[in-house]
Amino acid sequence: MDRLLRKRLETRFDGKLLGPVRQRHDETEIHVGTADLVEIMNALHDEADLKFEILADLAGVDTGDQMQVTYHLWSEMTPDWLRVIADGLPRDNPRIPSLTGLWPGAEWMERETYDMFGIIFEGNRDLRRIYMPPDYASFPLRKDFYLADDAARSPGGGVRHMEQTHVPAQASPNAVRRTVKTR
Amino acid sequence: MTASNHHQPHLSSDDPRIMLDGEIGQFESVPPYPPRTEREAEFYSLRDGEMFLNMGPQHPSTHGVLRVVLKINGERVVDLDPVLGYLHRGVEKLCENSDYHHIISQVDPLEYVSSLFTEWAPVMAFEKLLDVTVPRRAEYIRVLTGELLRVSSHALYQGWMALDLGGLAPILYSFIERDEIVEMLAAITGQRMLFNYFRIGGVNGDLNHEFMSRLGDWMSRALKEHETNIGLLNENEIFVRRMRGIGRVDRDMALKMAVTGPNIRAAGVPFDVRRAHPYSVYPELDFNIPVRGSNGGGDSLDRYLLRLDEVRESLKIIDQCLHNMPDGPIMARLPRLLRPRPGRAWAAVEAPRGLYGTYAISDGTDQPFRMKIHDPSFVNMQLVGQLMKNNLIADTMAVMASLDPVMGGIDK
Repeated sequence: MDRLLRKRLETRFDGKLLGPVRQRHDETEIHVGTADLVEIMNALHDEADLKFEILADLAGVDTGDQMQVTYHLWSEMTPDWLRVIADGLPRDNPRIPSLTGLWPGAEWMERETYDMFGIIFEGNRDLRRIYMPPDYASFPLRKDFYLADDAARSPGGGVRHMEQTHVPAQASPNAVRRTVKTR
Repeated sequence: MTASNHHQPHLSSDDPRIMLDGEIGQFESVPPYPPRTEREAEFYSLRDGEMFLNMGPQHPSTHGVLRVVLKINGERVVDLDPVLGYLHRGVEKLCENSDYHHIISQVDPLEYVSSLFTEWAPVMAFEKLLDVTVPRRAEYIRVLTGELLRVSSHALYQGWMALDLGGLAPILYSFIERDEIVEMLAAITGQRMLFNYFRIGGVNGDLNHEFMSRLGDWMSRALKEHETNIGLLNENEIFVRRMRGIGRVDRDMALKMAVTGPNIRAAGVPFDVRRAHPYSVYPELDFNIPVRGSNGGGDSLDRYLLRLDEVRESLKIIDQCLHNMPDGPIMARLPRLLRPRPGRAWAAVEAPRGLYGTYAISDGTDQPFRMKIHDPSFVNMQLVGQLMKNNLIADTMAVMASLDPVMGGIDK
């Protein structure tokens, strides 16, 4: 845990972070809003004492009641991974600015996130499905998309769910059966 | 023109005009659906003299099932559009519906050439979620087996590279090397390809006599055989000439394209997760991070040569692992059913193709709430679109092979 990084982030982005800077093991985590995302990412990338030049990962998350986009960054200035979580995207219309201006290599990662979650990255020049066929209509990694044989949350949960092929009683087309606390 | 002329004359099936009249053999549009983005619309509109060439999805040198639509003008590639998804299995979704131990076997077939690394990243992420400390012997075994697999993966790369350029012999020697390594790994894991060996908190089995004797035998001649295999290609003028100067990536482009692994190090950036963000017992080991192409970027030949340098470093690590291998347990004490406290964890390892990462979110149940897998080939593959413009069609394969993509990982 890099305490100095935490201080730097708290003073530099004072008032722009949603919630406190969190640290666990070798990870530092900040939550930002979609409106400030590009500005904060530019600062993280460009400023000499931050210098987060390597985009290690970009992941979409459907928490069950909202969408998130998570970025993992690496910098030579700190021994920690930095996790930037863009928080609070509404599930019915998730939109977030694209980071392809900063890292053109994020293009496919954003396409993948769009393909799996339906999150729209505004400014990505080529936001189309990447894995699923063009006529595919749903977003498979959303929490209201569940496998036909998934009865993991059913009353028998904990035993081998692959053996249970019935659809759980509470399953309705848009039901989210699993949520996670976001902060 | 009278109305009667609109009627087509009757054509029998053996009439040669049947292929000339009408619209047989013509597509309405390519692709057969309206363009979804401006980029797609731009790509699929042809200017004078241009045509499409569809490479794949069964092209033997695409390292899996990849389709690339080339827009060509004569022998030059104007633009290209890789089409993915032919190997998509939805592993992330499967992982979110499997318990933590089961996931190790789910992720194995992702990058099937070096599948220990696909196990290593999730296992490390889950260990972080669970606050488990892995016994030192297990860490040393992980590093030892991982580096062995890196040598075998790079050996296979060398063979593929030559195969893509039309050389048949090197792949035979690569497979000899790879076969010896997978045979010794099979002695401890029971598998030759999808090892399912790492466990949350350790590894599945201890080193045994067969593994040690095979390894000892191989180590005594590994470096010499490596040098022999190198000589087969590095002194081949055709090979070197075809590789040199094509597909140049410089430092700035590599960082912007989020490239990792040997491809970024061949562009002059010394980013290796083993040193940049040390994990396991790598801080205790003595090895170098080879870097090439620091003056003005690296080309395909640099990327090839860098992997050969890495094999030598890996052999150094294997040697140190064997000398420093501590005694002790190979598994931490953990319950059968794992329910980590709610939280998030990210772990990354340096796989033969670059940063292999896993982002796991736990909601307190026995299955991860979300598991994202970051595969280096997926990101590295984007470079092809940038590097191929205005090159020859024949060089497409040389550039693509030099980036070392594995479609199993790209398509997830």
